[in-house]
Amino acid sequence: MGVAQAGAGDVSAPARPAEPLTIDVSVLPDAAFGHRGLTWWATVAFMAIEASTLLACLGALVYLRTNTTQWPPAPYAPPDVAPFAANVVLLLGKLWPFGRAEAAAKRLDEAGVRRWMLIGTLWGLVCVVLRGFELAALDVRWDDDAYGSAVWAVSVAHTSLLVTDLLESAAITAIFFLTHPQPRHFSDVEDSALYERFLSISWAVLAAALVLAPRLP
Amino acid sequence: MTAVAEAPADAGATRAPTERERLERTWADPPGLWGWLTTVDHKRIAARYVVTAFVFFALGGIDALVMRTQLAVPEGRVVDPDRYAQLFTVHGTNMMFLFAVPVMLAVGLYMVPLMVGARNVAFPRLNALGYWAYLAGGTLLWASLLLNTGPDQGWFSYVPLALSEYSPGKRVDVWAQMITFTEISGLISAVEIVVTVLKCRAPGMTLARMPIFVWAMFVTAMMVLPSLAVIATASQMLAMDRLVDTHFFDVDRGGDAILWQHLFWWFGHPEVYIVFLPGTGFVSAVLPAFTRRQVFGYPAVVMATIATGFLGFGVWVHHMFVSGVLHQAGSFFTAASVLITIPTAVQIFCWIATIWTGRPRFGVPFLFVLGFFATFIVGGLTGVMLASIPLDQQVHDSYFVVAHLHYVLLGGGVFPLFAAVYYWFPKWTGRMLGERLGKAHFWLWFVGVQLTFFPMHLLGLAGMPRRVYTYLDGLGWNGLNATATVGAWVLALSVAAFAFNVVHALRRGARADADPWGADTLEWATPSPPPPYNFERPPVVQGRAALWSRTPDAPVVVGLSTERREILVTTAYDAEPDHRHRDPDPSIWPFVTALSVSVFFVALMFTPWAVVSGSALLLPPLLAWGWPKRERAT
Repeated sequence: MGVAQAGAGDVSAPARPAEPLTIDVSVLPDAAFGHRGLTWWATVAFMAIEASTLLACLGALVYLRTNTTQWPPAPYAPPDVAPFAANVVLLLGKLWPFGRAEAAAKRLDEAGVRRWMLIGTLWGLVCVVLRGFELAALDVRWDDDAYGSAVWAVSVAHTSLLVTDLLESAAITAIFFLTHPQPRHFSDVEDSALYERFLSISWAVLAAALVLAPRLP
Repeated sequence: MTAVAEAPADAGATRAPTERERLERTWADPPGLWGWLTTVDHKRIAARYVVTAFVFFALGGIDALVMRTQLAVPEGRVVDPDRYAQLFTVHGTNMMFLFAVPVMLAVGLYMVPLMVGARNVAFPRLNALGYWAYLAGGTLLWASLLLNTGPDQGWFSYVPLALSEYSPGKRVDVWAQMITFTEISGLISAVEIVVTVLKCRAPGMTLARMPIFVWAMFVTAMMVLPSLAVIATASQMLAMDRLVDTHFFDVDRGGDAILWQHLFWWFGHPEVYIVFLPGTGFVSAVLPAFTRRQVFGYPAVVMATIATGFLGFGVWVHHMFVSGVLHQAGSFFTAASVLITIPTAVQIFCWIATIWTGRPRFGVPFLFVLGFFATFIVGGLTGVMLASIPLDQQVHDSYFVVAHLHYVLLGGGVFPLFAAVYYWFPKWTGRMLGERLGKAHFWLWFVGVQLTFFPMHLLGLAGMPRRVYTYLDGLGWNGLNATATVGAWVLALSVAAFAFNVVHALRRGARADADPWGADTLEWATPSPPPPYNFERPPVVQGRAALWSRTPDAPVVVGLSTERREILVTTAYDAEPDHRHRDPDPSIWPFVTALSVSVFFVALMFTPWAVVSGSALLLPPLLAWGWPKRERAT
């Protein structure tokens, strides 16, 4: 079982016939990283839920597209590529500070976590600001027609995750600056880095659907 | 290596507290109302879910009784058409979203940790939040009906009827926000079950030794994740179409009404299996104790459960055969709908083999299992009929479909649920439910179901559409409708017998010991009802039937703290001990967060600016929830 076992004949658990064999888990650590930990699995489960939400929005967009011969429908033009490309690059780049924070967390390096989580959080703030420019670049209102509704649904669904993630990163950063973090907070940093990957990669896919797909012949 | 030394029982007043006393102190909830609001004990929370779900079941039943009384004779005048529309909408919505799915997940939330030998679910505070969100959603729906603002567009809320143009007012918004509440709750429950199953199993309980019920709940929870997330998204699209003039489903502005049907049934058909798979788990849990043998064909039953979970996502279009789906698509979904009967049949044959080769004991849980066979198989067979497009097109939206879905859901869900309640009630309460009253309950229920719903097949074939508030004399429907109404009142009598049995058992029922049925799974290794920490010493599993395979010198786990709440985390596949995890103490923040969420969602029915104010309202409790407290010195 990987931990100490003792029984009636063991030196440390002697002599009482009724005493069962024991598996002593007090020697085990009280936190673990990655898939060994509970929050990693919860993060994966919530990523599955959020991916389903994003796919539902994307599915609606694709379904509505089948109703028209032209996409986007007249009189709209496809959204400007520049803000989307910039934010995709920025979001993928954000994986770097979070990767460094993750590495620091695995070393239980409190100062390193503080530094890289702060950089990652500020980086995330820039991404949120840039998201405003992306929304403006959609160049259609949500209530103009179904096309507008669908592209806004995809964008807002991801934006809500982006903002929530920013707040969560800020909270973890604050915990490391303002309290004495417990071992589980280091694994929280690692799970946060995992979630960042989901957030960045999912936007790369969604942005391509919003900006590039309408330009395909 | 630390050996645990127990203090002698007669150590006197000055003795050190025993291990059990320390555990009692550490895992106890605060007393009184504060403890009630702050508890994170999975058993207390799950029990609340179950009780609340049965209250909703009774309310939904009263709805049905009013409808059946209205339909007992032609041109009935018990309620007017508007109230009738609210009644059938709230009945369906309530039974699916507030009873069937939550009660199944709730039994899982109670039993899964006990059956895998854990001390709590993986995320106890999140679990508490799930319950309060569920209660808020249910209260919203029923309060709206009492205020004559109940949803009236049918439980699947088809557009364009559900859009503002045809449904002004707030009735549809109530429906959409109730969905959001209950889906949050359902998703939380699913995450709890998935992570508890994967990471909190007792040492030795490899995946291949997991009880079939736990497998069933695991697959169910995995199905909940993608299905409930999509309906929550779709209901928000509907709400936005009504609130901020988006046009997802508005055909005039490029939207599509069929898109709503796809989104709804992507969730709606898996939901049937989200209700049915726990039912199969109940059957597999009850049968060993009542046939004195393990379930025949464990690998086949588990593989069939997993296969059902996958195939359940490939059949949704069979609800839409009259919406003009392409011919080849229709053929595909017909084939998929027939295909999914195969794993179900595998399970049923395995259960029959279990009974055939076992020594059956005709207790009340076993009777309900037999009732499940008889009723569910009828529903399954009419399901195969409805998978055929020509027949489906003839009986679509008729009482034939009403009969079919009730045979499936009552047969596949409620019969096994009653079996489970009779089976686990001693574990939950420490009392036995009365056998004689239980048999009366069973027979009334069985006869009531057949009397109520079998005639509906014939009514449907005779052309009676569903959702009509009355009908004319002379159509040949009178006798069948009267019979169905008599059946509905028999069902009411049956539920009354059940309620009386529960109340009587709680007051005067025979005391139950730890394992009154001589069953094989771990929940029976701890006292009835279980202490807050579930197991004084977490067990170690030596075989598939954990208790029947246990040797006299079976090992137990020691070394978890008794001074702070601590659970053992094991590896996902082999359940090897991996690390200890600090389990959270009781907290008021899940309750406060749920209150904030409730204000947020209700406000969102009236103004989109609730997104801003609601988010501001949510931040403080979430921050307080997550902010670390100074650890006690241990």
